[in-house]
Amino acid sequence: MNDRARIFSAINDALTPLQERAALPELDPAQWVCPSRLTEGGSWEDFRRNFEAVNGTFLTSFEALSRLLRDANATEGYADPGLLEELPETFRDGLTLHETIDRGSIDRYAFGITRAHAAIAESGTVILRDLDTPDRLAALAPWIHITLVAKEALFSNVTEAIDDLGEDPNTVWVTGPSKTADVEGILIEGVHGPGIQVCLPI
Amino acid sequence: MSHQQIDQFAHRLDKGVRDSVLGGSAAGTEKRRQVLFGDLPNADSLRALAGRIKQHTLEHLDRYLEAAEERLIDNGAKVHFAWDAASACQQVETLLRERGVRQVTKSKTMVSEEIELNRHLAEKGFDLVETDLGEFIVQLDGDHPSHVVKPIIHKNRSQIAKTFERCGLGDYNDDPETITRRAREYMRRKYLSAEASITGANFVSAESGRLCIVTNEGNSRFGLAGARVHIALVGIEKLVPDDRSLSLMLNLLGRSATGQNLTVYTEFIRGPRQPEAISGPEEMHVIFVNAGRTETLASDCREILRCIRCGACMNVCPVYRQSSGHAYRSVYPGPLGAVLSPLLAGSARFAEFADLPKASSLCGACNEVCPVDIPIPDLLLRLRDRAHREHAPAAFDDAPNLKPWAMLAKSPAAWRMSLRAANMLNIVPLGFLPFGPLGRWTSQRTLPSWRGGRYRQWAAERKKQKNNPS
Amino acid sequence: MMTCLCDAFFDDVARATHEVLESLGIEVIVPESQTCCGQPAFNGGDWASARQVIRHTLNVFQGDCPIIVPSGSCAAMSFHGALLAHEKETDLPQVQAFGARTWEICDFLRNGLGIESWEGRLDARVAIHSSCHSRGTGTPEAIRTLVGSIAGVTLLDFTQPEQCCGFGGTFSVTFPHISGSMGRLKIDSVRATHPDLLVSGDMSCLMHLNGLAEKQGSPLPVKHAIQVLRDARVTPVTVQ
Repeated sequence: MNDRARIFSAINDALTPLQERAALPELDPAQWVCPSRLTEGGSWEDFRRNFEAVNGTFLTSFEALSRLLRDANATEGYADPGLLEELPETFRDGLTLHETIDRGSIDRYAFGITRAHAAIAESGTVILRDLDTPDRLAALAPWIHITLVAKEALFSNVTEAIDDLGEDPNTVWVTGPSKTADVEGILIEGVHGPGIQVCLPI
Repeated sequence: MSHQQIDQFAHRLDKGVRDSVLGGSAAGTEKRRQVLFGDLPNADSLRALAGRIKQHTLEHLDRYLEAAEERLIDNGAKVHFAWDAASACQQVETLLRERGVRQVTKSKTMVSEEIELNRHLAEKGFDLVETDLGEFIVQLDGDHPSHVVKPIIHKNRSQIAKTFERCGLGDYNDDPETITRRAREYMRRKYLSAEASITGANFVSAESGRLCIVTNEGNSRFGLAGARVHIALVGIEKLVPDDRSLSLMLNLLGRSATGQNLTVYTEFIRGPRQPEAISGPEEMHVIFVNAGRTETLASDCREILRCIRCGACMNVCPVYRQSSGHAYRSVYPGPLGAVLSPLLAGSARFAEFADLPKASSLCGACNEVCPVDIPIPDLLLRLRDRAHREHAPAAFDDAPNLKPWAMLAKSPAAWRMSLRAANMLNIVPLGFLPFGPLGRWTSQRTLPSWRGGRYRQWAAERKKQKNNPS
Repeated sequence: MMTCLCDAFFDDVARATHEVLESLGIEVIVPESQTCCGQPAFNGGDWASARQVIRHTLNVFQGDCPIIVPSGSCAAMSFHGALLAHEKETDLPQVQAFGARTWEICDFLRNGLGIESWEGRLDARVAIHSSCHSRGTGTPEAIRTLVGSIAGVTLLDFTQPEQCCGFGGTFSVTFPHISGSMGRLKIDSVRATHPDLLVSGDMSCLMHLNGLAEKQGSPLPVKHAIQVLRDARVTPVTVQ
């Protein structure tokens, strides 16, 4: 008997003696929506508050983004080629933008600009999908990760976003900068992924 | 002196380790309480609901496992099954070898600890690196994780700094930020040069075949951005019926584990990357691992398979806090481990871990915090009964023999007589009784004076008085 | 049900239970053949012995009047543990019926009789330790409400109230070091609030905590909740 057959046979042997089996309970996702996180009814204001609570950087203009990059001395980075036309001339001035990531010189990119599929107001999460952001490294390797997300692409709560997962082979929800508390429980941001996680609705 | 291994371990435990385990666990418990109930005032009913979903899934595991397999194959993944640890390790090795892979990154997976995958692959000459910071440090030290979520809760910064120095990761520096930056620099070269990345999975949805993996550091995600082969090791109990259930589970997992509303990186993986994607594995392999789970499913403790590995039970457990995770001599520590470890060991090795279910005051705090409402104290009790029936010696070290007591307790006349006789205790100096249970009681505490039968006497007088009021 | 601990050590707790119930006009019956609820063997893993003791107890407490016990732990043994021990036995229904009649005394006063507040007076700062086996029952709230309603009582909140005191029955002797450390942590958090009295619904916890405290050289002022309720209001019955 191969391992597969052995496992299924053992499961059957384990379950057959059960006189009753637990039924699947009715799920009402409204029960696990967090009222205190959605005081504005699931708006960008809610997103902002929840995103900032996990140390995300919420920006509303490219001017603010320029300032952030200038302050961080970040002049060279990656931008998703599909997003180039969304970036104003004034913003691109003085920046070196690459449209691909060279795996051989990964530390060259001080920032990465990617498109988020959507955001979740309740949790302060941005959603990245392979379909929208073809190079996963762009959202991971640079210290500063900037996601642009369409203003209309905002889910109110986690269940709405789950219902929208769709066919993409890979979706990642990002809720704040990469972090760890492994050393003595002390919070350190920017472990493997970005230390600064920016979201700019467009 | 006691002979229970866990009590001895706790007694000998370095004070620094005890303090860090105690402090870290208590902080985790408090944060969980604030965030969980702050966000979800009805959290207790959600825990019960999540428990019912998992119980239902387990009791229909044949159906859901088959459904998940079909979906994954439809999505382009390859699905494998491993009966035990040896088979799982062998299958991973074969997959790597057939693809000419030598360098591997691995993000945290508890099932890989169970099957001792690192040791196996190292012996076979593979270069595997743990990418989670805590697990990386455990790997460098040749140590074992002592907590399912906080693997190095038992280490302090200066120990870590020494390890980094010894392993050529820079001069001694115990600043946590510096330690983290050094790991960051080291690891990104590994992500990009590794051909394969091994992960676990927190959940698998039978409806869509989606694997759900959560990390805070982003290490699993980075590993899967760099490698061309993804191998996921998944315990067969990780299933949930549908994606909607994932929504509930994720809401409970992050809050229970670390007091976060969601873990930073929550990945949903249906299959290998699409051809037009630039990064991500071209091949995805899912290995469903049994390693003792079907035997657990057949037992009267199958509820333990609901566990989603949040670690809340160990954080709150007063015994874990005093003894640390390594006291449990197994991959899973704390209340979870006290139930799961003897069961996963299988009937052949149950006796070896039969003392674990004894290491509990049965206080029930674990059940109260469990996001899937596992009745852990009941399961501990069932395992104690089993250990007793199977005469497992480890369970009897120092345990008072209760048979004579039970004899007495069903013979009321003898019971009453011995209550009065035991008044002798008051005149025997307790220092002369250093052995046996009484000695172990008085090694720590005083004993109140014996007043055997006094209430009975009073009640009898009272009854007499009421019947014949003067 | 007087509990084996009160039978052996804490006769005044059983007596207080008796006196309070009588003062409320309730007739108290004390079956002479009672011994123990069976919990020591049950927790120790000797379920076969436990079932023998449970069956004896079932026999002693036949009938349908409420069974009152001054211990959250023994009460939980009757309505939960005993059911677990008998889950595969044919007399499970009798055990269930027995469990359904069993009440912890304060739970009975508060939720069985519907008493909302307690008359009398006690000028004291009181810390309340909820015993672990009363988790999820009506007892913790009942004790807080009733003791808290006594004129002059100030209730104190100590840190980490959910943490066990470390008694745990046979655990206290098989794991003496861990049990002792747990108890000392509890004593520290209780003492930090400077109580005049530490009150609980279980003498087992208090015996362990006070035993530890005495060993350290400074006893804890402990009392069972029912003693507090009696002393606040009921004049003790004198027996010649």
